Amino acid sequence: MIALMTVPLVMAVWLSLNFITFRTLDAPEFVGLANYQDVLSDSRFWGALRFTLLIALISVPAHIIIGLAVALLLDETSTRIRSLFLPGMLMPMIVVPVVGTLMFRQLFEPTGLFAWFFSEVVGRRFIFTEFSVKALIILHTIWASTPFALVIFFAGLQTLPGELVDASSIDGASRLQQLRYVIIPHLRSLIVLEALIALMDFFRLFDSVFILTEQNPIFKADTVMTYNFRVAITVQRLGKGSAMAILAMIGIFVVLIPFLIMTYREQIEER
Amino acid sequence: MRPVTNPVGRFVIYALLIMFLLWSVVPILWITLQSFKTQRQAAARAPLFVFKPTLESYGRLWLDSSPDNLAVLLIGLMAVVVLVLLAVFARRLPIPRNIVYAGILGAVIVIIWGIPKIVDTAKFYDYFVNSLIVSAGAVIFSVSIGCLSGYALARYSGMSGVVILLVALAFRALPRMAFLLPFYWMGRISGLHDTYFLVIIALVAVNQPFTIWLLRSFFMDIPREIEDAAMIDGASRLGAFLKVITPIMWPGIFSTALFTLLLAYHEFLLVRILTQSKWTLPLAMVQYIGGAQMPGQIAMQAAAAVSSTIPIVLVILFFQKQLVKGLSAGAVKG
Repeated sequence: MIALMTVPLVMAVWLSLNFITFRTLDAPEFVGLANYQDVLSDSRFWGALRFTLLIALISVPAHIIIGLAVALLLDETSTRIRSLFLPGMLMPMIVVPVVGTLMFRQLFEPTGLFAWFFSEVVGRRFIFTEFSVKALIILHTIWASTPFALVIFFAGLQTLPGELVDASSIDGASRLQQLRYVIIPHLRSLIVLEALIALMDFFRLFDSVFILTEQNPIFKADTVMTYNFRVAITVQRLGKGSAMAILAMIGIFVVLIPFLIMTYREQIEER
Repeated sequence: MRPVTNPVGRFVIYALLIMFLLWSVVPILWITLQSFKTQRQAAARAPLFVFKPTLESYGRLWLDSSPDNLAVLLIGLMAVVVLVLLAVFARRLPIPRNIVYAGILGAVIVIIWGIPKIVDTAKFYDYFVNSLIVSAGAVIFSVSIGCLSGYALARYSGMSGVVILLVALAFRALPRMAFLLPFYWMGRISGLHDTYFLVIIALVAVNQPFTIWLLRSFFMDIPREIEDAAMIDGASRLGAFLKVITPIMWPGIFSTALFTLLLAYHEFLLVRILTQSKWTLPLAMVQYIGGAQMPGQIAMQAAAAVSSTIPIVLVILFFQKQLVKGLSAGAVKG
């Protein structure tokens, strides 16, 4: 099992040190760190990295705030009404990501509902530009990732001891204070976990970007993963692609290690 | 928290909830609406809300030529047979339920295999079957491996829980590319490229840490005394696992299987890299997006989107309770 996961990684490192294209699959040529140099001096790679970071910066807080807010609101309703709302709200999680993107795209195409709405309200036609495609991708990531946050926050709220809240309201705490000092601390580990998972997911975001930019390479909205794909599979530079994947991996771990240590400490404390 | 009681507050709560609901389902509803329109209607600039629904796009999506009446009759008959099987045999008969379920499963497989023999199905049907094969394979492999390792991790060591959680998170963090390029290269070299086998193995490898972690948190809930009792009564450890633990664990295993199914069914990048002809539904979508083959066929796109979503939505909605339970158990307890 562990072999199944670590062997490919070791091979990726090895591949990244070789010059391999589709034609020379059997005869990789050892080139040392040239692939890494190639990646680091590639301006499109840096552009892709910037956009990926932008997505993470906007979408991670946005989807957590929306998810938490909706979970709190749902907590106010009765079970029956909740069961009316939940299936619809969870749909974005169930729909195949590629299809979800397609759905978004159809809304914004000239024949779509939103495009019509936009032209009625703003008075000019909605067109795909680099900016609007990027905005669309970010909106879609929020749309697709909120339901999961909603589910785990809602489940977390159910374990909140009622006495704690009652005690705080007897002490005269306002709702906002309760939220700040009772509810959020209770959900803290869940929020951190969700932020972590989302951060990682956004970093390897591929499907939606690929769908939205596939037919229009002019939209310079590559993320690290889609650019990586283009280099490795479309252009068939396996070595450079692997180098980029390894670099991305190192980058992710640099960001994640503080989080991982934090989770580790928390888990230890709980025991 | 004390429930909000003043009417204005309640109104705001419901308004906000409905807004979020709309935000979640409008894209889905819109595409469903589009899929029942004719090509011309779907391409209209001003959205059309009232129209006569047509199954035209679905027909073109699933079938190459329109079937004659006999074929339709045969398919209808088969569907009826399965429904009757499900309705009558599932509970009532004295034979063991497992045999009944196996029989129904067999009937479904025969029908899926048989339909192309009767009517002229289009490529989309093949993608659908590929999706079924790949997801089923991935679920079976990863749940059976995950059960054994999850059980072992839950029982034999103290600290390993935290470690496996961290490993699961770390592996989730890895860019897929770092895994897939070696798999791609190996596949090319060994000739396994473009086979179901390679796709399934890669899927299992990528999603396994998560499966193990989820299953482990379920196994932790089972008191050790139960298997001790079984072993005192003379069962081996494996026997205790299979005969005693697995039946209790069934809900947990089930929700993990559902989750794995979701991951496998959604996978895009992996299948795109490791196959050329064995495309699954998410990949098939790409060719309806309006590339060279079918420029801008909105209704067709919509029909493809809806068709590939319906199977998984049916499965998930049917077992929604288990999935939510599984998710929250895994996430909340850690």
